[in-house]
Amino acid sequence: MADVEMKQANAKPAKDAEEKKKEEQKPIPISPVAEIKSNVLLIDRAVTTLEPRFTHRVLRTLTALRKRIDDSVLRNAIESIYPKDHAVKKNLLAWLPSGPSSTGQEMDVDTSSKTSQAELVPEAEMYLRLLILLHLLASEETQEKALELANETAEKMQALNRRSMDAIAAKIWYAVDRAYELAGELSDARPMFLAAQRTASLRHDDEAQAALINCLLRSYITYNLYDQADKLVSKTTFPPSASNAQFARFHYYLGRIRAVQLNYTEAHTNLQQAIRRAPPAKTAPGFYQAVHKYFVVVELLMGDIPDRSLFRHVVLEKALTAYFDIVKAVRTGSLAQFQSTLSKHAAQFEEDHTYTLIIRLRQNVIKTGIRRLSLSYSRISLRDICIKLNLDSEEDAEYIVGKAIRDGVIEGRIVHDKGWMECGTQKNAYGPEVSEVFGRRIAFCLDLHNQSVKAMRYPLNAHRKELAAAEGAREREKELAKEIQDGELDEDDIGPDF
Amino acid sequence: MAANLKTYYEELGRAFHSKPSDLKKCQALLPKLKIGLIEAGLLLPQGDVNLGDLSVARDILEVGAYVSIRSKDIPSFDRYFSQLQTFYTDYSESLPPSKREYPIRGLHLIRLLTQNRIADFHTALESLDPDVIAENPFIKHPVNLERWLMEGSYSKVWSAREEAPSEEYKFFVDSLMGTIRNEIASCEETAYESLPLKDAATLLFFTTQSEVITFAQQRGWQVDLTAGTVTFKRKDEEKMEIPKQRIIAASLAYARELEQIV
Repeated sequence: MADVEMKQANAKPAKDAEEKKKEEQKPIPISPVAEIKSNVLLIDRAVTTLEPRFTHRVLRTLTALRKRIDDSVLRNAIESIYPKDHAVKKNLLAWLPSGPSSTGQEMDVDTSSKTSQAELVPEAEMYLRLLILLHLLASEETQEKALELANETAEKMQALNRRSMDAIAAKIWYAVDRAYELAGELSDARPMFLAAQRTASLRHDDEAQAALINCLLRSYITYNLYDQADKLVSKTTFPPSASNAQFARFHYYLGRIRAVQLNYTEAHTNLQQAIRRAPPAKTAPGFYQAVHKYFVVVELLMGDIPDRSLFRHVVLEKALTAYFDIVKAVRTGSLAQFQSTLSKHAAQFEEDHTYTLIIRLRQNVIKTGIRRLSLSYSRISLRDICIKLNLDSEEDAEYIVGKAIRDGVIEGRIVHDKGWMECGTQKNAYGPEVSEVFGRRIAFCLDLHNQSVKAMRYPLNAHRKELAAAEGAREREKELAKEIQDGELDEDDIGPDF
Repeated sequence: MAANLKTYYEELGRAFHSKPSDLKKCQALLPKLKIGLIEAGLLLPQGDVNLGDLSVARDILEVGAYVSIRSKDIPSFDRYFSQLQTFYTDYSESLPPSKREYPIRGLHLIRLLTQNRIADFHTALESLDPDVIAENPFIKHPVNLERWLMEGSYSKVWSAREEAPSEEYKFFVDSLMGTIRNEIASCEETAYESLPLKDAATLLFFTTQSEVITFAQQRGWQVDLTAGTVTFKRKDEEKMEIPKQRIIAASLAYARELEQIV
């Protein structure tokens, strides 16, 4: 399956190297080395103050940072963060090729100030390991090394078992998964992931759990083991506190599973969720395209025709051309056109793993054709249906029309002795289901509101201040009331004098 | 592998390959063999095991699957199939491919079709290579059947029943015909007001009138023997009812939620 978000990073290094040169000449707000260092400090603060949000802040910059690191940046960063003969430092540096001169210019300045620093938290080491891992994964020659590092890191991470490491651990698991996938050994990693997933769920390590469930689903789906993937989904609960990106992935995988199982409605909801939760189209075009491919197919399978504007979207236009052709064929209800489009784009559909789904569309094409006929004719002979829809025989046509009537595609009946189909009028579509749909939408809005209320941050003790202010206000009010009373009394007092 | 396992295995091979196969003997031998496999840790292999042993284990299970089909024991076929899955998916790289793999997979697909388990059918299909689906006769057959069933081309299904790629497939034909007859019947109920008996028979692939009449009685159709027609009961237009309970509940829920917001 194409994970273009990653691919992009893979394809880029060559270009990146050139770009980096250019970038370095430009004044950059903060150098990658400095950024890594400040990130490590932030992680340290997060662990000591038990405030996970600092770690989250660090991880948010990960994607941007990943594109800017190279060997020397990492080396300099590690050199400056750890004191001279630190065991961890040697360990980490061993993963990087020894550069010509490891003494960067700015590093000298920093080491003097940092040598006195107290022992760093293991989370910082993990963060650096993650960076090295991502860097190794980016180029093809170092992928083997990445796999080794991934294994070592995963072991170490599990041995440490620190709750403050959860957020970083989730990212590391993702990198481990990627390392295995690039090495083509994804199925070998499954037992490890399953064990880790169990541990994570026992420890309520939501982030790692979310990441691991997605890794497992990905692994199952790559090998087309939809049955196992479905069982995994039914046996686990996806942690509701997972990040948006993980949710988007999860919904995407779930959508694919449901589509295979013919549960198109659920597949549609899941894919829609995946699209909504996905990062903007421009930043992660690969995911956006992959989800939309399935989305279009599922919508067709449900009997809907996707919006035309979708195919004019800048990111999607090129990727979805083949699907656009299919949509056109289904819309016109022409089996011949459908078959020719299918064979023309077969290679692409197979690559996208949508081929089997698209084959299922055949019956939809027929149904659309029959519906068009039933709308335009009030009575049509089975023979004409047969010719118009390119069916093999009249008998087939009779069965097919019968099935369409039973499935509620068209309203009508067959008059057997005369050999024609009589079409009835369309049913009035306004019924209790309208209120149901309306109710669903209201429920969605209310849920959205509740979710956003829950998502707000309430700083500790902040309400005290408010309380104090309220208290003060009440106090003032009382005084005012008193004054007014006094004033009134005064007035009263004054009154008689007048 | 234990010695007695080996002798049993050879006996099973002889009993299965003799013509006609000695089903009784196979059925007697299989439980013993399965116990042997469990003792040798081969029924659900884990870790590194001898490849030769594995293919023997697979062979035994495959014979088991065939024997259960021939003796019409479907639940037992299901069990053998799920045990075989380990060999077909997890050891597909290390083991030499078995020539019985696709026939058995095809049988499994047909079995899902006859039970109308279309979702499972597609899930199982998804794990196969697209080339196999398009080329392999054992897989192509159920795939085509499914497509025709979904389209409603029942006459194609009917005519394809004789083209089964192997003997075992024919066992499922009867139950498959039962499935499609019911499908056709439910289509007829909504699509026709009445049908001549003769035409009803051809549509339902019955050869004699008496078969149609018994079938019609089962489905509760009115048969008019003098006119020679079948009349289908019209379902009355469903009365539209206002779902009071639900509307009240929903309104109360909205009120509560709004109260929380304001």
